[in-house]
Amino acid sequence: MRRTMLTFLVGVLLLCMPAAAQTVDEVISKNIQAHGGPDKLKAVRSMRLSGRMTLGQGLEAPITIEVKRPMQLRMEFTFQGMTAVQAYDGAMGWQIMPFMGKEDPEPLSADDLKEVREQADLEGPLMEYKAKGHQVELMGKETVEGTECYKLKLTRKEGDVSFIFLEADSWLEIRMTARRMVRGNELEIETSLGDYKEVQGLILPHVTEFGRKGSPQKQKISIDKIELNVALDDARFKMPEVKPAGPKPAGTSPPAVF
Amino acid sequence: MTSHLRLRAIVWLAAASVVLTLSAAAQSVKITSEMLEGISARPLGPAAMSGRIAAIDAYAGDRLTIYVGSASGGVWKSANGGITFKPVFDKQTQSIGAVAIDPSNPETVWVGTGESWVRNSVSVGTGVYKTTDGGDNWQALGLVDTEHISRILVHPRDSKTVYVCALGHLWNSNAERGVFRTTDGGQKWEKVLFVNEDTGCSDIAMDPQEPKILYAGMWQARRRPWTFTSGGPGSGLYKSTDGGATWRPVRKGIAVGDLGRIAIAVASSRPNVVYAVVEAKKTALYRSDDLGENWTEINSSGNIQSRPFYFATLAVDPKDFNRVYKPGFMLTVSDDGGKTFSGISIGDAATGPGVHSDHHAIWINPKNTNHLIEGTDGGVYISYDRGSRWRLVGTLPVSQFYHVSYDMDQPYNVYGGLQDNGTWMGPSQHTGGISSRHWRTVGFGDGFWALVDPQDQDLVYVEWQGGKLQRVRRSTLETKNIYPFARQGEPELRFNWNTPIHLSPTQTGALYIGAQYLFRSRDRGESWERVSPDLTTNDPQKLKQEESGGLTTDNSTAENHCTIFAISASPKNASVIWAGTDDGNLQVTRDTGKTWTNMVKGVPGLPPSTWVSSVEAGHFDEGTAYATFDGHTLGDMKTYVYRTRDFGQTWQSLATADVKGYAHVIRQDMVNPTLLFLGTEFGLFVSFDDGANWAQFTGGLPPVAVRDLAIHPREADLIIATHGRGIYVVDDVTPLRKLTPAVIESEVAFLEGQPSVLRIPAGEQRFDGDAEYTAYSPEGDASLNYYLKKRHMFGDLRIDILDAKGAVMYSAPGNRRRGLNRFDWPMRLKPPKAPPATELGGDLFSLIGPLIPEGTYTVRMTKGKDTYTTQVKLVADPRSKHTAEDRTLARQTALKLYQMIERLTFVAESLVDLRDKANARAGQLPKGDPLKARLETFVANLEKLRKTLVSTHEGGGISGEIRLREKILSLYGMVNGYEGRPTQSQLERMTVLEKDLQGASSQFDGVTSSELAGVNSVLEKKKLEPLKLMTLEEWRKKGEKK
Repeated sequence: MRRTMLTFLVGVLLLCMPAAAQTVDEVISKNIQAHGGPDKLKAVRSMRLSGRMTLGQGLEAPITIEVKRPMQLRMEFTFQGMTAVQAYDGAMGWQIMPFMGKEDPEPLSADDLKEVREQADLEGPLMEYKAKGHQVELMGKETVEGTECYKLKLTRKEGDVSFIFLEADSWLEIRMTARRMVRGNELEIETSLGDYKEVQGLILPHVTEFGRKGSPQKQKISIDKIELNVALDDARFKMPEVKPAGPKPAGTSPPAVF
Repeated sequence: MTSHLRLRAIVWLAAASVVLTLSAAAQSVKITSEMLEGISARPLGPAAMSGRIAAIDAYAGDRLTIYVGSASGGVWKSANGGITFKPVFDKQTQSIGAVAIDPSNPETVWVGTGESWVRNSVSVGTGVYKTTDGGDNWQALGLVDTEHISRILVHPRDSKTVYVCALGHLWNSNAERGVFRTTDGGQKWEKVLFVNEDTGCSDIAMDPQEPKILYAGMWQARRRPWTFTSGGPGSGLYKSTDGGATWRPVRKGIAVGDLGRIAIAVASSRPNVVYAVVEAKKTALYRSDDLGENWTEINSSGNIQSRPFYFATLAVDPKDFNRVYKPGFMLTVSDDGGKTFSGISIGDAATGPGVHSDHHAIWINPKNTNHLIEGTDGGVYISYDRGSRWRLVGTLPVSQFYHVSYDMDQPYNVYGGLQDNGTWMGPSQHTGGISSRHWRTVGFGDGFWALVDPQDQDLVYVEWQGGKLQRVRRSTLETKNIYPFARQGEPELRFNWNTPIHLSPTQTGALYIGAQYLFRSRDRGESWERVSPDLTTNDPQKLKQEESGGLTTDNSTAENHCTIFAISASPKNASVIWAGTDDGNLQVTRDTGKTWTNMVKGVPGLPPSTWVSSVEAGHFDEGTAYATFDGHTLGDMKTYVYRTRDFGQTWQSLATADVKGYAHVIRQDMVNPTLLFLGTEFGLFVSFDDGANWAQFTGGLPPVAVRDLAIHPREADLIIATHGRGIYVVDDVTPLRKLTPAVIESEVAFLEGQPSVLRIPAGEQRFDGDAEYTAYSPEGDASLNYYLKKRHMFGDLRIDILDAKGAVMYSAPGNRRRGLNRFDWPMRLKPPKAPPATELGGDLFSLIGPLIPEGTYTVRMTKGKDTYTTQVKLVADPRSKHTAEDRTLARQTALKLYQMIERLTFVAESLVDLRDKANARAGQLPKGDPLKARLETFVANLEKLRKTLVSTHEGGGISGEIRLREKILSLYGMVNGYEGRPTQSQLERMTVLEKDLQGASSQFDGVTSSELAGVNSVLEKKKLEPLKLMTLEEWRKKGEKK
């Protein structure tokens, strides 16, 4: 009897003890597993996300994001029927900002390119981070928005540092804090993620909310649809040639979304 | 009992306690800080006057990096030479004594908490902290009991060797004080210089060329609530020549008798020159030319002698050993090695008012010694001309409020008095943000209470130190002194430094002020009626403010004692008034002041003479009251908070282990009797069960001293006066009122807030740059509040707003955090769908949807497979000057134009669709085919029509091309941006544009109907797909699909 009781007590005590220390690679492996596993992630060659971006005060813009291996990205959003584009073809980044009457593409500055390039990594920075030249450090646990998280410090190959918070039960990202050096100044962007849903075996977030750290103004992107392995021509990611001056041929590029 | 049996019993007891604990945990979910963080306090600033600065250090690298240690508002860092600052110490103690950048590695910064400018209102520290990443992460490195740290020195060549000059306890004796040294980066500390438990270190300096040579000023000082003593046998100037291992006093040439506070500075360009200001019977500046061995008195001008306890700091120009700066009441400088000093921080009528008085910190740029940064009682100033002209840093909202109140304007203003910065008022909201220029000063000196006359909002009661009550007319700043005087035969009135005034909640216009007696005025302070005897202990031992100061007399009313400090008249019974005194009496009258009874005897666990920091008569029954007591000025740092339900006969302690810091203020909510707010030296705490449990309110609020709290009765906003971070507002605490145990147990619960105001659309053109602090002001969204038991992780969490027919008007992903969530809904329809063009049309209001009409709407949350609903009420802006009919007309007009934009978009997009299809068919036909030519003409005609619908001019810049799209968008923006009746011209314009739109539409129909049938018949013959016009349904579907 006493023995049983002691066993029970030991059991209770063990339950109360903190979980065995995790190594950073174990945590990352759990995270990748939680997204569907490395094989399923690797099998994704391209992805298109469509949804809506809200900017406060009732401002809204439809948005599509297309990502294709290796490291290609095209993002479009539309105001008043006019579509802006930001893209990266694996080597150079460019954008079209048509709101002031200019539809010509312009190359992105090195600082602006950083953000675009980070997003071009379809499988995220944690997967095979060593091969990508990043460093990841497990900083322990921290409470984020009332929820216990594992805190990872990601130092990208280029030197910029982000903190990634994985919810301790699901191992999925709920917050990322990225610090980017822009013209030698720190710019801190905080992103919250949520509404994880299954898309052909992958578990992917469908809402992201981001803004400058500490700012009450946040932008929200809610994704209505994620398509995997869609056919995306490499040309979509390349900067179009600047058209010669003069009136453009009428409506040759109707917006992909409106 | 045999040991065997005993063991068995222990096992059983242990098991039972585990089971009990588990079941107790299952029974109730405790409300924790994290659960409340979804509702955030927003700062109002201001930074217009800033607050006391205790320490500054900077690093003149490629860019100038500045760290500012504020007296009670944390550490702030600027990476851009002082244009903007960000707080980097918001999870730690907010009172800062010392900041030191490691000269070998500027990413490493040391912070000593606990300010050393130990005035009556000084806060307390919790030891030494270090960051190695420029302020992102901080490590607590001990010396927790030092309470006040004067300076930290980092060895210029060895990052691991650091000296901490710790003053120690101010209000009692303690051992952890003196000079501490670490040689391992702060893991271990060695107390290398200690005199006695009443003497601490007031300043330390190092020879920059020979860092083994150190000088330290040791200071004996003590504060009591009623007196301050600077100086004593413990004070002295010390020198070490072995890196602090041993010290010996150096006194040759320095005044005889007891010494007080000492400041030291070594001339880095010639380190054998050392300067020291030594407080003594005759305070003076001394100079040594032989490494501190022999000293000569060299100057005793006014500013050198000024308030040594407050201004004991000194700096030598790094390039000129004869240039000495002395921060004091003003900043003075000597260019002749200390012989003469002149003032350099005084403004004049030609250039402006100059800098705030009371200077505590100075940094001289070693690369360009014309460049100075200064810390005063009113913030940080920067000079580029050696102090002739100064710029106030406008981005440091470290203002030190004592109290806060509000008026009933729309939006309401807040009012409050500040330590050494007078009394200010400012708006709770302002379009585009609340900036310094929106704040107004309405009082002088040190400000405390400020109350708006309930019958005439133009009149404000303000005061300066020691009960100098004034009535100020806001509009003209006309000021009348209205404080009472002792009458014939009465002893002199004793007013606290922070004298309480109070407006009766039941008798409009009755104003109270507390001296040792309580006074009431019913005529705006023109006359006063005494409504109590002396309510204090009137203890002659505690009436010594005239002797206060020690070596240097310092009687600023800060040590006035045996005075009333807290007043509260019952909102339930006009005869019941509470008064608490600084010497520990808590008195109540139940007959409007005829008789008073001291109820403090019934307060359990309270040491005698403990200062009554606040009393709050209950809002729901006359016998209930809440009180806080603050013993810190007697060296007792515990939290004392109590409640009585029987007029003070018995009291229950409400302090729990979750509350930290000595208590300043308690407020009971006016709607939910069990909702309490408590302000302490270390933050704001909330109880949902009448004080049984507390959670710290950490959403947006650092652990700063909360000195006063007010709840706006109309807006249900909680207004927080912090002593170090200005004013904060928690907008609409209605959801907190509804956070019951049942809510906490539910998976999802909506918590209805105040009705949402459809804010008058407005904007303000501002290009302020970044050098002025601007507080975020809510943009006028509806706040939907809900509680989630767990964080939502998987599947949708969507918020939909439904109209009366159940149709979705708005839809967006909701917030998903554990605990309370606040979701903002802009109360507008989706933006209009405009056709593609080459320029944005109209203005900001063209980009957003029309306002939703007043009324009640259904809110539906979809969370995974479950749905939950509640109602939200939208009401008109109370400031609106328009009739409901006019507002309705505006919205209907906007809606009509909104539909016109979409109609145009349908036309333009079906045109483009048809044009592109026609173009494609033409491409499939061989050259010379007559159909090809016909299609090309058709395309050209369509394009010609398109050019009348939308702007098509490219090339950047301002084309000024106005087509139908731009015309409608522009008119829509005008109507959408004004909530009243559109102008007659606008209404007529709409009719014109409607016709144009119809015209365009029928033109399109014309072009297509005349051509489509013909073209299609030929196409069919050629086995090519005919051209098909997009239907409205197809267009809508395409829009939804995206």
